[in-house]
Amino acid sequence: MRKIWVVIRREFLEKVRTKWFIISTVMGPLLMIGFVAISIFIGEGGAVRRAITVVDLGSAEFGEQLTRMLNAPEQWSVGRLRIGEEELERVTDSLTRVVGREELDGYLIVTDEAVESGQLEYRGSNVSSFTDMEALQRMLQQGVLIARLDRVGVDPRLVSEAQIPVRMRTVNIRDGRETDESAESVFILAYAMWLALYVAILLYGLQVMGSVVEEKTTRVVEVLISSLKPFQLLAGKVIGVGAVGLFQLLIWGLAGWVIIMQRDVVLETFGVDTTTAQAIPLPDVSIATAIIFLAYFVLGYFLYAAMFAAVAAMSNSEAEARQAQTPVVMLFVIPSMLMIGVLQQPGGSMALAFSLIPFTAPIAMPVRWAGTAVPLHELAASIGFLVAALCLVTWVAARIYRVGILMYGKRPGLKELARWVRAG
Amino acid sequence: MVRTHDRDTSSQMDAMQNDVVVDVRGITKRFAGHTAVRELSLAVPRGAVYGLLGPNGAGKTTTIRMIMDIIAPDEGSVHLFGSSQTGRDLSERIGYLPEERGLYRKMRVLDLLVFLAEAKGVERKKAKHDAQAWLERLGLSDWAQQKVDQLSKGMQQKVQFISTLLHGPDLVILDEPFSGFDPVNTQLMKDVVLELARAGTTVLFSTHIMEQAEKLCDSVCIIARGEKVLDGRLADVKRTHGGEHVIVAVEQGATSVDSVFGDPSLVAKADNYGQYAELELAQGADPQHVLERVLAAGARVTRFEIAEPTLHKIFIDLVGAEAGTARAEGDADA
Repeated sequence: MRKIWVVIRREFLEKVRTKWFIISTVMGPLLMIGFVAISIFIGEGGAVRRAITVVDLGSAEFGEQLTRMLNAPEQWSVGRLRIGEEELERVTDSLTRVVGREELDGYLIVTDEAVESGQLEYRGSNVSSFTDMEALQRMLQQGVLIARLDRVGVDPRLVSEAQIPVRMRTVNIRDGRETDESAESVFILAYAMWLALYVAILLYGLQVMGSVVEEKTTRVVEVLISSLKPFQLLAGKVIGVGAVGLFQLLIWGLAGWVIIMQRDVVLETFGVDTTTAQAIPLPDVSIATAIIFLAYFVLGYFLYAAMFAAVAAMSNSEAEARQAQTPVVMLFVIPSMLMIGVLQQPGGSMALAFSLIPFTAPIAMPVRWAGTAVPLHELAASIGFLVAALCLVTWVAARIYRVGILMYGKRPGLKELARWVRAG
Repeated sequence: MVRTHDRDTSSQMDAMQNDVVVDVRGITKRFAGHTAVRELSLAVPRGAVYGLLGPNGAGKTTTIRMIMDIIAPDEGSVHLFGSSQTGRDLSERIGYLPEERGLYRKMRVLDLLVFLAEAKGVERKKAKHDAQAWLERLGLSDWAQQKVDQLSKGMQQKVQFISTLLHGPDLVILDEPFSGFDPVNTQLMKDVVLELARAGTTVLFSTHIMEQAEKLCDSVCIIARGEKVLDGRLADVKRTHGGEHVIVAVEQGATSVDSVFGDPSLVAKADNYGQYAELELAQGADPQHVLERVLAAGARVTRFEIAEPTLHKIFIDLVGAEAGTARAEGDADA
């Protein structure tokens, strides 16, 4: 035990001292701030200025009304050009050139018939912007509606009053109790867990691989193996790197908590209006959720770290290890990509299956847990399978590791590996 | 383990009588294609400087790895300090320098030395203190806080050497200790090894360079193709192998002496190295008679010496032909 502790301490201190650790620890919270700021930016509809011209071919007030309406958002500046039918081609040609010079974003052609048919045409350089087109469409729809009602004598003020948008508040029911969580906050939490687990397990699993390869390529391993049992070395290494991972997650968690608590200050420095920030739904992380997250991180990390260590032990160089890691990485990455299904339907059958299969459970179960109420027996089964798989994989990996670290030369095939595992 | 009862008992008694530190009994190791070590037995007495000699690929590294319990023998057993514990359990008492050297490149020198000592079971505080003392002694104290990869090759070798000896082992096992060392470091390391031996540390080292073994060892074991060719005290080996030897050097171009060297009644075996010739005399031949014959052949003698056979010569005589062919098995040693 004392010798394992010596290995753990070396692994932890050496990793924590690297530039890589310091940079990624600092970058993590900065990325979080950036992520929040960007999503608020997008939430505001993008503070991009847009210059649009309304080409009004109509005779009635419709074009004028529409222009007023489009001018309502702060960052839109909309002018109106009233022309006759015969001038249309000449005017649009020159406007197209103006758009080409980027002095104008686009122009909208308005006709008298538009009120009847609902047919309008917009030409511009920003048609691929989803937010722009959605806003334009929404305002045009409202404009046409008001114009139509106006014709039959309905007061436009009455119309806008009648058009108050409906806002639905969502409340998550968990274990038969209402919670403070809204649909968005549940999704954000599940998404954040997915991302954090995905990054952390892969990152630290690969760190273990790098560490084993380093010992093998520098040939330090032979000195170590003369005083440590291979299993002591492997266990110390995996636990040491895992401790670095937990340490970093702890720092990130604390930083995230501070950022959320002090979000007004953070947002003000970014020049974002704090009232919009209040509208951002914040996930409520319970103790149970935090424990589930950490437990699955630890189990998932151990599972993959053992496999990465075995891969490293059978490789002669870093380049070779990067090649040999592919099956393990695929085993991890491909289901993680499919995890979007678990995010969207945490109660679905795919979510259930993924949360029971040991190789996908480390991510799927916490994501499910965040998204819905998971029956305790499913949680127990998931952890049971995972622990069983962990024991089996570690046993096999440790045997491959023990033989592999002292082998140089051709990388072993499956047959050779089986022989290593069987060798007493 | 296949072994008759009485042989086992007798070797155990030997072990007690001679105070054997490393007791290897009939170890065999097979790899996929071939047998690297076959039925090898050897005994290293306490305080000895013991040379494990053999050409490349003879099985020296495999033997040492089995002694260290890095790999397990298929047959036979290894006993260290007369106990049944493995080299790993006894790592605090053993210093091991593998053939393939290696250090963590990104670690600071002092941290690395302390870690390697701790891995052997030395207490942290003591390890730190001793590491600083050793760095001081080998003139590396200014580098203690530098990373290993900032050190020159020679300095890294010294650090590796310190890591082997730092914990004050009773037994030091060195696999090809002087390979890759520059002459200055080689001399330094030889001095350290001899000093250890004087202080009572048992030293077992492997080499394929006989001159080194001749200078340092008091006992040797020569192996070839995984099998023991001979072992014993160096003086005994020299006495029993090779008979009476004469070294003769004559002025250049005196080919007339070839007939003397070729006379089977005088010379059993002649090795002409160009500058001088080493002659193994025939049974009952008199060195004085050889000198007379050389002079009578008209050669001017520049050197005439009645000598012990060199270890190199014994080695070549015993394994000569095999030495060249053994290379193919070198994979197992790597």
